[in-house]
Amino acid sequence: MEEPIVKLEKVSKTFRDFWLRPTVEAVDGLDLEVRRGEVFGLLGPNGSGKSTTIKMMLGLLAPSSGKISLFGLPPHAKAARAKLGYLPELSYLHPFLTARETLMYYAGLCNLPRRVARERTDQLLEMVKLSDVAARAVGGFSKGMARRVALASALIGKPELLVLDEPTSGLDPVSTKEVKTLVKALAKKGMTVLTTSHLLADSEDICDRVMILNHGKSAAEGKVSELGESLEEFFLAKVGSGDDFALADFLA
Amino acid sequence: MISLWRIFWLEVVALVRSWTAPILVVASLGWMFAANFVLVTDATDEGKREMLVLYGLGGVFALLVVAVLASSTGAVASERESKRLQLTQVRPVSAFAVAWGKFLALAAVAASVLAFPCAALIVSSGFSERRCSHVYRPLLESPREEALKMYDAYMADPETSPMVKKAGRAVILRILEQRAKDHYQTVRTNETASWTFPGFHDWSHANPLVEPSARFRFSNAYNMRDEVRGAIAANGFFGAVSNITQTAVTVPLHLCQRGWDHDVLSFTNVGGNPVMLRPRQDVELLVPADSFAWNVFRSYVAMASILALMAAFGVFLGTALSRPVALFVAFVSLIVVEMGPSVAEQYPDSLETDAIDRFGLSVVRAVGACAKPPSALSPLPSLAADDCVEAKDALGAFAVDFVLAPIVLSILSALVMRRKT
Repeated sequence: MEEPIVKLEKVSKTFRDFWLRPTVEAVDGLDLEVRRGEVFGLLGPNGSGKSTTIKMMLGLLAPSSGKISLFGLPPHAKAARAKLGYLPELSYLHPFLTARETLMYYAGLCNLPRRVARERTDQLLEMVKLSDVAARAVGGFSKGMARRVALASALIGKPELLVLDEPTSGLDPVSTKEVKTLVKALAKKGMTVLTTSHLLADSEDICDRVMILNHGKSAAEGKVSELGESLEEFFLAKVGSGDDFALADFLA
Repeated sequence: MISLWRIFWLEVVALVRSWTAPILVVASLGWMFAANFVLVTDATDEGKREMLVLYGLGGVFALLVVAVLASSTGAVASERESKRLQLTQVRPVSAFAVAWGKFLALAAVAASVLAFPCAALIVSSGFSERRCSHVYRPLLESPREEALKMYDAYMADPETSPMVKKAGRAVILRILEQRAKDHYQTVRTNETASWTFPGFHDWSHANPLVEPSARFRFSNAYNMRDEVRGAIAANGFFGAVSNITQTAVTVPLHLCQRGWDHDVLSFTNVGGNPVMLRPRQDVELLVPADSFAWNVFRSYVAMASILALMAAFGVFLGTALSRPVALFVAFVSLIVVEMGPSVAEQYPDSLETDAIDRFGLSVVRAVGACAKPPSALSPLPSLAADDCVEAKDALGAFAVDFVLAPIVLSILSALVMRRKT
């Protein structure tokens, strides 16, 4: 059987204060595997540990315990990172760079030769429909346009694994549909995608398999096609419906 | 290599498009221009040059030090706080390349900005025909050797405080070493004092057409305004000293006869009063070197190297700390490095023997020792006095401050960056 692209074994993350006293146990003994070519959804309510898990996978946070491997390598290995594309929850672009310069910058970080970088930049700008504004500073872009630049920069190195943290965040319905279509197209071409989203309908559309996180632990994991009910119903059953929310009592 | 170049390019673009670099260029050139009108000089070429270098170029240098520290502490810290650093860290780029690329960009921009006022100084001041001088000091025993010789007599002296006598040998030797550095020599009327300048004889034979100068800084024992008169002889060269102030006296030496085989420069006091000077600091032989423009260039290399070191230090602090804390630490360190050594040197002997004060002095000395390579060369006072900033010193400053120390600091930055993730 082929080695999974992402593998987490008994991974935990405890945040500590200045005196090293534990404050939050964000992830607790998590096991997770993402296989080549699948679209994997990491779902969960706010504070369930999704972002912490992704940051540990990317090598941006060190786990307190457990083992993480990316393409069979430690997450901070250059060879693993060369095969990775990452779209964070917010775009975090350099506001003084133009869209073209932004893509050329990230192409440079992937060590692409200048000619190849130019070609891919042109292709990606065309793909995210920003060719007309390629020479404009991204600081003046709308949230949706900035999101598309960030998505293009995640794809500039032709990654084997694309990690999307809330990919449709801030996008209008048309752009959301375009992103979903793009993810499906990338998956068809064999790219592995790991995505987190609060929008369960989006995940239902694009994911092959999902894991639901709650309080840092896996509440459920399985293929979307085998859930037997809508993802929303399944999700609410696993993490609670929210009916016990005390706002009504407070207002009364 | 491509990723390093891209990180360098991004930082340069950020400094240019945020208007930081253009504003610094305009401010530097504006101050150099305004200095011609604002600064009050003694109406001589020397006075004007001294003021322009010390307060014109010196002001620009101070401005750049502040700007470099402010920019460099934010280079990594602000990217980390805005989470843009994450997007770099998930690419196949080493943490060292991130730190080194940012340092190179900051150093290159600082050096480029500094080039404008230096060029303006050469072009506008009209001093480019002036020549600077190599400066040689007499061969004397080291202050440490002199301190060791003084030790027994000092301990046996009944006037030495019992409290000081209780202090350790190392402390007392440090006090005596400082005294040796400031040791005054008195030359009474009709007395001659001599100092050895090794190689002077050979040099004068090899360069018969070049006439050296001698520079003294006299301190009259009784009245600061007493006239100093004397004659200087140095291996066939002669000069006459006559001044009525205690400022530095530069005496051109003219070749009068040949055949002396000495490396000795002597001063005979023919005035009515004894004069005092510190041979380690107040007696210098000046040998003509190259042009003012070349001296400005070497000073520029030294100053750009110091700015580069500041940039590397700022990047390191910004990697380890949040931006406001890094900025605060950077400026406090700068103040301690600049003021610490003089505070330590001026401390009274009795306080040197107090345990708590000694601890404070030790800290100041340690900081001073750590900062010794960058501060060992002070190009501005040399440039102002037309003293040659030697090429080997400028290259040494470049090697240490622009290359070695930043490499070490960038490695430390990389380790901290990885640790923080």
